Amino acid sequence: MSASLEDSIRGLAHSRALPWGGSGPVLDVRDVAELAKKHALPGHEVEALALELDVTPVRYLRNRQSISRKDQTRLLRASIALVGLGGLGGSLLEQFLRLGIGRMRAADGDRFETSNLNRQALSTLDGLGREKVRAARLRADTVNPSITLETRTEYLTPETLPGFLDGCSLAVDALGGLTMRGHLQEAAARTGIPLVTGALAGWSGYVAVVMPGQVGPADLMGMDNGGEEKLGCPAPAVNMVASLMASEVINVLTGAPTLNGRMLVMDLRSHTFETISL
Amino acid sequence: MGIELKCFATLREYLPENGDDYPVEPGETIRSLVAKLGIPEKDVTITFINALRSDLDSEIKDGDRVGLFPPVGGG
Repeated sequence: MSASLEDSIRGLAHSRALPWGGSGPVLDVRDVAELAKKHALPGHEVEALALELDVTPVRYLRNRQSISRKDQTRLLRASIALVGLGGLGGSLLEQFLRLGIGRMRAADGDRFETSNLNRQALSTLDGLGREKVRAARLRADTVNPSITLETRTEYLTPETLPGFLDGCSLAVDALGGLTMRGHLQEAAARTGIPLVTGALAGWSGYVAVVMPGQVGPADLMGMDNGGEEKLGCPAPAVNMVASLMASEVINVLTGAPTLNGRMLVMDLRSHTFETISL
Repeated sequence: MGIELKCFATLREYLPENGDDYPVEPGETIRSLVAKLGIPEKDVTITFINALRSDLDSEIKDGDRVGLFPPVGGG
């Protein structure tokens, strides 16, 4: 870190009461943006450097007892790939922006239509017809401009998936339907990175973490499109599965125990949550 | 005492009223159970007994917790 940036962070930091008691130095979002611009760095890197100086960006202050300083720094320096920006993808993006995952690469070739409004967090009445990646960028700018979001307006294929995952330390499967999920699992395995996957139909869903070479849900579910075409995907189930996936992403990125080798299945109607060994 | 049966997603419609305590015969397997419930075999992709993934020929006995999952890929 340059001495001038370190001095600037210390200079702009101010002391305030901390949620866990006492007081300590914090850095406001506007100061993060200003320093990022001045030093030609992404905001998430300024925030990571601040945390290393034990200056907490105010944005993450309320997470500090759940996500340690060291783990938040890891998240801010992580690079992940998010495939799909529909129901799961929109809800995941929202959570990743608020958690402060530094770099995200997201892909979706679709545009919003009226039938997405029942569940897809990025879909709005005034955004119908808009590219999903465009909506994602608008949301990122609104919620957390410190995050570096790279988008691709395309449906990824077995040929383009490896390039898309290149340089990322984790892949997130937010695809709709079963057709591409196996290809994504294979591409993640070939890239040598973990995959966090999840899917649902109606009130039932599942989440899994698949390490390279392991059996995953995509190996078992087949390629025919599943029950979601009949049952749809109600918002509570979408957001539940997305939340389980987002917390597994945090577990993987911070080195905490994960679902690795298992699959969590749930049904919100029968209040079933069960972790199955694969 | 029978088995505790869980049918997920589209298989929910096959769940019998006594799914919490469903009687099984000696030598019952997932395959015979699925047939007894009237579920087409191809509609069952993941099955589990007591939180362990099983296959169609796995045996079921009284007291087991059995789950049947169809193809599910919505997102």
